[in-house]
Amino acid sequence: MFTLDRKKIISSALVASVILLGTACNASTETEKAPAKTETKTEVVKTVPETQATAATGDKGIDGGAVYTIKDGMYTSYAVNEQAKKDFTFGRTPSKTEEAAWDIDVMPDGTGLPEGSGSVEDGDEIYEEQCAMCHGDFGSGGKGSRSTYPTLSGGEHDSLTYQRVGDNTDGPKRVIGSYWPQASTLFWYVQSGMPFNHPKSLSDDETYAVVAYLLSINEIEIDGEEMDDEYVLDREKFMKIKMPNEDGFIPVIDGPDGPANVKKFLADPNNYGNGTRCMKDCLEGEKPNIVRIKTEINAFEPPMSVERSFKEAEASGPIHPGQKVYESSCAACHATDAMGAPPSGDKAAWDTKLEKGIDVVYANGINGINAMPPKGGNMTLTDDQFKAAVDFMIDSAK
Amino acid sequence: MNKMTKTSEQHLASNADESVELISRRNFFRKAAVYSASAVAATSILSPVKLNAADDPAIVHEAEWGIKLGDPVTKNRYGVPSPYEHNNTRRTTSLLASGDDYASISMCPIHEQEGIITPNGLFFNRVHGGVAHVDPKGYRLMIHGLVEKPLVLTLDELKRYPSVSRVHFVECPANGGPEWRGPQFNSIQFAKGMMSQAEWTGVMIKDLIADLGLKPEAKWMLAEGCDNSEMGRTVPVEKVLDDAMIVWAQNGEALRPEQGYPVRLMLPGWEGNLQVKWLKRLEFSKEPFYAKEETAKYTVLTPSGKAIQHFYPLEVNSIITSPCPEKPWTDLKKGDLVEIQGLAWSGQGTIKTVDISFDGGDNWVEASLKGLILPKAWTRFSYMYRYEGKPLLLSSRAIDDSGHIQPTIDQETAVVGVEAVYHRNSICTWEVTDKGVVNNVHIRS
Ligand code: HEC
Ligand code: HEC
Repeated sequence: MFTLDRKKIISSALVASVILLGTACNASTETEKAPAKTETKTEVVKTVPETQATAATGDKGIDGGAVYTIKDGMYTSYAVNEQAKKDFTFGRTPSKTEEAAWDIDVMPDGTGLPEGSGSVEDGDEIYEEQCAMCHGDFGSGGKGSRSTYPTLSGGEHDSLTYQRVGDNTDGPKRVIGSYWPQASTLFWYVQSGMPFNHPKSLSDDETYAVVAYLLSINEIEIDGEEMDDEYVLDREKFMKIKMPNEDGFIPVIDGPDGPANVKKFLADPNNYGNGTRCMKDCLEGEKPNIVRIKTEINAFEPPMSVERSFKEAEASGPIHPGQKVYESSCAACHATDAMGAPPSGDKAAWDTKLEKGIDVVYANGINGINAMPPKGGNMTLTDDQFKAAVDFMIDSAK
Repeated sequence: MNKMTKTSEQHLASNADESVELISRRNFFRKAAVYSASAVAATSILSPVKLNAADDPAIVHEAEWGIKLGDPVTKNRYGVPSPYEHNNTRRTTSLLASGDDYASISMCPIHEQEGIITPNGLFFNRVHGGVAHVDPKGYRLMIHGLVEKPLVLTLDELKRYPSVSRVHFVECPANGGPEWRGPQFNSIQFAKGMMSQAEWTGVMIKDLIADLGLKPEAKWMLAEGCDNSEMGRTVPVEKVLDDAMIVWAQNGEALRPEQGYPVRLMLPGWEGNLQVKWLKRLEFSKEPFYAKEETAKYTVLTPSGKAIQHFYPLEVNSIITSPCPEKPWTDLKKGDLVEIQGLAWSGQGTIKTVDISFDGGDNWVEASLKGLILPKAWTRFSYMYRYEGKPLLLSSRAIDDSGHIQPTIDQETAVVGVEAVYHRNSICTWEVTDKGVVNNVHIRS
C-alpha cells in the first residue's frame, strides 16, 4: 500500500538508543554476553519465537501487534542485559493459610465460591442499609457528589443492540441482568469491592443475601424459578445460574483454545476498525462534513487556563486535626447532601443536629444512625479520631 | 563574584539583604536593593540608557530576579515547579466520575506536554476506589496458582531482581470515549488527556517466574491490587512471557501513590486498566477469571449486541498537540513559519509514519518523526508550516509497524458503532479559523 524507508527509522532509533543507553552498552562486554545468551533463550522466551530482526519479526503477538526479539544484545532501541538470570533466592513460599487469605476470587466454574446462604429478603435489608444511599432504591442509581452512582438494575437485554444515532435517543442499558456474562463476577465483586466506602466487610451469608437481592431485582430466574422474597440462594443454586447475556461476548475465551481465539480475533483489525492510507482526493470531490460541538462541556476543575501570571501562594493555615480522617472516611458521603448526610461545612444542617447536644451527635455517629454506618464504616478509627472528623465538618461551616 | 569575601559566601544561604551588604560593590547593590523594593523592575544603574517607546522594558530595565539573591539551596528539599506554572495541572469534570471523586479520573494537561516524558505530578490519574496509601513495610507480593513454586516477596526482595527501564505510555481505553457521538470538549486535555508516558523501572516478569516453574496448563494470570477496588484483571500468559513487567519506579523515582506505589503491573501498550496498581497478587490459571472490569466494564459493545472482550491493546492513534484549543494560533501573522506538532502512539507496535491533512482529510502529506522512536511509546511528529491566516481543518493519521492505520470516524464507527465507550482511536481534527482560533470538530462523510 505504501512504501516507507523503514531502515531510516530503525537506524535513527538506534542512534537514539546509543545516546540514551550508552553506558549500559559499554558495561557489558562480548565475552560476558555469549554464554548468558543461550541460557536466556532456552529458559525464558517460551512462547515468543526467536527470529533475526531487531525490529518487528513480522509475527503477531496475542494482541495483533508487532513482536520484537533480542538481536545483538538489542531489543528494538534498548540494550539488553543478557547475563544469566536464573536461580534467584529471594522470597519464600506462602503458607496455605496465607494463600487462602488472599485468594478470594470466584470463577465461573465455582472455584472460590464459599458455602453459605442468604435470602432475597435479608438481602433487601442489607441493601437498604448499606447500598441504597449510593445505588438508589431497587438499584435505580443514586446521586453522588459528582454524578450518579452505577445503576444496578432495569436494563433490557434487547437494548444491547440500540445505537444512539440519528433520532434514536435510547442507548444500550448495560446492567447486571442485561449485560454481565457470569454471576460469579457479582459475588466476587460485591464481597471484595463493596460497599464502596468499606469493602470486604460482608460475610459469606450476607454476600449471598445481597447478591440474591440484586439478581431478583434484575429478574433472574434460577432453574426456571423466579426469585421472590423468600428465595434462599446457596452455593448449589448459585452454580445453576445462567446469565441472560452469557453468550454476548466475542471472542470465546474459555477452554484450551481461549488464548488462540483472542489472538485470531485481534490479528484482524477489520474486527475493530482500520484505516486506509489514501493521500490525494480522498473525499472524492465531496466537501468534508464538519460536525461541531453542540453542547459544550467545560465545567472543569480547576477552570481551563494557560495563563502564566503569578498566583499568590494561598495562605494555608494549620491543618485541622480531623481533616485527614474526613477526607479518607467521611467525604464520600458528607461532601454533599446527596445521600441525606449533613454536608461538611453546611452550618444549617449541623445546627439542626447539634440541637440535641454534641455528645449525642458524637454517639449517633459512633453507633450509626439510619444510613450513617457506625463510625462511617471505618471501625479502625478511635473515638477521638472520629470526633475530630465530626469537629472538622462542623468547624468548616462559615 | 570573585571579589566576594569568605564571610559573604557563608552568608549566601542566609538572608539575602545581609549578604548583599558584604559584597564589595556594596554601593551599587544597596541602591539596587532599594529600587527593587519600591518597583518590580528597577532601572539599570550599571548601564543607564534613555528609553524609547520601542525599547522593551524587559531588556532595558533590570529585572527583579537579576539584582537580588534567589532562594538558598535548602529551600525545597523536594523541588516544585515555578509558581508561574500553576495552571499546568491535572483537571477533572463531573461527567467522568462514577458518582464521586473516588471512582473517577483526572486528566493530564497534554497541551503543556513537552517531549515524550510526563512529569510524575501531572500523570493522569484513574482510580476505582481512591488513591491507596500503602506502607512499604506492610507490602507483600504473592505469585501462586499454576506454578511449581509459589512465592511471596517483600518490597526489598522484589527490588533485588535485575531491573529494566522502558519508556511506555499508559492510556485509559476510555480516552476520547465521551466523543463517540460527537465532539463535546473544546479542549485537548479533556478530549485526549487520559494518557501519559513515563520511563518505568522494574523486573521483567519472565525473569522473575523463570524460577517458579510455570505449569504447562497455565494459560492466564490474574493480577489484583491491594487497594479498596482490587482491580482484578485476567492477562494471557503469552503477554506475561513477552514484555510484561512488575515496576516500582517511574521517571527515576518511586512510583507515585496515584500510579500504584509501591508496585504496579506494566503491560506495554495495553489498556491502562490492565496495568494493575498497588499490585498484590498474581495467580496463574487454566481458565480466565471474569473480573468485573473485564465484563461489566472495559468491553466494547458493537451494534450486533455482541461485545468485544479481552480487547487488550490500544490501537494506533495520534493527536496534534500544537496547535490545539488551549494553544491556538491567535498570535500568528501571515507568513510566520510555525511548527505543527503532536503525539502518535500504538499499543500494537512502533510508529512508522504520520500524515497530516489541512483540508479535513481530502489530501495528506507525510510529517517528520522526531526524537526517540520506541515501541509502544509516544512518538513526536512535526510539520513546518507557513501560516497563511486562512481557515484549516487539521488532522493527523498514524501508521504503525504492525500494519495498523488510524481509521476515520466513519471507518471506525462502521465496525464498532457509537456505543463502544472504549477503544476510540479514529482521526482527530482541529478546525483552525481565519483568526487562528482552534476548535474540536468531527469530520464525517
Ligand atoms: C459510597 C457509595 C457506595 C456504596 C455505599 C455502595 N456502592 Fe456499589 N458502587 C459505588 C461506585 C462508586 C461504584 C463504581 C466503582 C468503579 O468505578 O469501579 C460501584 C459499583 C458497584 C457495582 C458494579 C456496577 C456495575 O455495573 O459495574 C455493584 C454490583 C455494586 N456497586 C454493588 C454494591 C452493593 C451490593 C453495595 C452494598 C453492599 C454497594 N454497592 C454499596 C458506590 C457505592
Ligand atoms: C456511607 C455514607 C456515610 C459515611 C461514609 C459517613 N457518613 Fe456520617 N452520615 C451519613 C448519613 C446518611 C447521615 C444522616 C443520618 C440520618 O440522620 O439519617 C450521617 C450523619 C452523621 C452524623 C450526625 C449524627 C446525628 O446525630 O444525627 C455524624 C456526626 C456523622 N455522620 C459523622 C460522620 C463521620 C465523622 C464520618 C467519617 C468518619 C462519617 N459520618 C461517614 C452517611 C455517612
